[in-house]
Amino acid sequence: MPWLLANLALQNLGRRKARTLLLIAAVAVGSGALFAGATLMSSIERSMAVGFTRMGADLMVVPDGALTNITAALLTVEPTDLVLNAGLVDKARLASVGRSAPQKIARVEHSGIGSHHDSVDLIGFDPARDFTILPWLVEKLNRGLQAGDVILGAGRDAPLGSQLLIFGRPHVVYGRLGRTGVGTHERGVFMASATLEALAGAIEGHGKKMPVLQPGKVTGFLIELAPGATSLQARFAILSTLQGVKVVSGDTTLSGIRQGLTSLLDGILVLMIVMLASTAMMVSVLFSAIVTERRGELGLLKAIGARRAQVLGMMMVEAMLATGIGGTLGVALGVLVMRLYERSLVYNLDRLGVPFVWDDLARTVAFAAGAIVLSVLVGALGVLYPAWRASRRDAYDLVRSEA
Amino acid sequence: MLTCRQLSKTYRTERGDVAAVTELDLEVEAGRYAAIIGRSGSGKSSLMAMIGGLSRPSGGTVTIDGTDIWGLGDDALARFRNGRIGFVFQFASLLPTLRLVDNVALPAMLGGARDGAGTYDKASALLARMGLGNRVDAYPSEVSAGEQRRAAIARALINDPVLLLADEPTSDLDEQTEIEIMDELLGVNRELGTTLVLVTHNLALAEQAGQIVHIANGALVA
Repeated sequence: MPWLLANLALQNLGRRKARTLLLIAAVAVGSGALFAGATLMSSIERSMAVGFTRMGADLMVVPDGALTNITAALLTVEPTDLVLNAGLVDKARLASVGRSAPQKIARVEHSGIGSHHDSVDLIGFDPARDFTILPWLVEKLNRGLQAGDVILGAGRDAPLGSQLLIFGRPHVVYGRLGRTGVGTHERGVFMASATLEALAGAIEGHGKKMPVLQPGKVTGFLIELAPGATSLQARFAILSTLQGVKVVSGDTTLSGIRQGLTSLLDGILVLMIVMLASTAMMVSVLFSAIVTERRGELGLLKAIGARRAQVLGMMMVEAMLATGIGGTLGVALGVLVMRLYERSLVYNLDRLGVPFVWDDLARTVAFAAGAIVLSVLVGALGVLYPAWRASRRDAYDLVRSEA
Repeated sequence: MLTCRQLSKTYRTERGDVAAVTELDLEVEAGRYAAIIGRSGSGKSSLMAMIGGLSRPSGGTVTIDGTDIWGLGDDALARFRNGRIGFVFQFASLLPTLRLVDNVALPAMLGGARDGAGTYDKASALLARMGLGNRVDAYPSEVSAGEQRRAAIARALINDPVLLLADEPTSDLDEQTEIEIMDELLGVNRELGTTLVLVTHNLALAEQAGQIVHIANGALVA
């Protein structure tokens, strides 16, 4: 029986080919826009996560009295003998602070890296909280960062996986950063804070005592603003809450672009939801007309014993079949749109050195499945009311109203 | 077998209520052929629709084989209509997208027939009985109006109904075809013992009935 009703629904779709094709095309455009839009938005968000963090932090919190060489991008703290407690920013729980990444920096000589008297910046960071170093990673070993691993700034050269002796202690070159134009960043040797702390004895053996190498001490914090917060608000909150610190601002334009683009993506999401709702209404209007046109047949079906659920089911199968086909074609259309996007905008962005990170396959497939399921739901919801009304009417009324 | 008590039907229109059937009492014995006659607009079709469970009465009851059909819920009434009543309309009433055999089998399938092959065998046999044995795979648009009407009779018989209702089934057919269709209906009544209630304008057809019900202005004419 379900096969017969499904067959009936399929045959009905074939009766008005032009109308059915238009319905399928309308749903395909909606589904395609939804699929491509969702995938692109997700990819843009991912790219933003990489791209904007590459622009550096919004603010830097360092000990009051520390000398800072302000650069366009706040990527690392500057060397100083002054230190802060590692939990300082977290304990303050400031609403205007979105993320904070503590860093330690030790400028050392005789480390064994480079020529004998070269000074080297050893930078310790927390890989779990970092957002200014790892986004610049352009090459890395095929595993996670471990104790004893170091990452080299773009200005230093050593093969990945090779051994690097620092103060005579072996370390593994885990990765290399891209060019940033920020001197400390390009010349730095980066490692997890614990790895740097483990070098304290060796460094102090060369006669230099560094408080920052003690556990629980940091040189400063890189700060990302909370959504909607301004640099001024955060600066005021930090200075009024934390004692003995200085706040260094980065380029406020970057913060504005970051927050503005986030709002823009939210706006696109709202537009996509509105478009989906309008497609559902269009399907509903169309199926109201179809039900009116076919009321004689529906009356006949009821007259020969079709139950309300069967009449409703047949109309719903018909709508869901059409919108499901539309949804599937829409996904194919979305793939084409994304291929075009890849060949144009993404290609140009890549040439400019702006990273565009596509979503992984599993998420893309999930978006495709979601677009098809939503299309089917749009069909089901669109036909529900007109079909429900028809199923409630007397069979004779339906037959007579058509006659 | 069929009993109507105080049966009434009023249609609400923009210009006020229109009484199509007024407190009508009717009884038809099992296995009988009853003809309902009357002028256009006298309420014959409204009466048939209420008897057939297609249009809810404004008042009164319809009892078929001891079941007050309008006391049943929606689904129970649909099942009763499906299993106990066959209906032949006054117009071509086949689904255009289904073959004749599918149209005939449809009521059985809607009723939940488990044996699909058996249902289709029966549908083919009924079509053969109606002289359409070589047209089972044809679509309604590929056969004549008379053949469509015969297929509709076959469909009405697929679930072995106890009551066969025919609402002017030959009104748009030529005389020869009308005779053939009536032969089929009367044959069903005689050979299968199915109670037949037929609405007609044709007095000659009505005179063959065991019971003639004359309606005027929605009420029985004495």
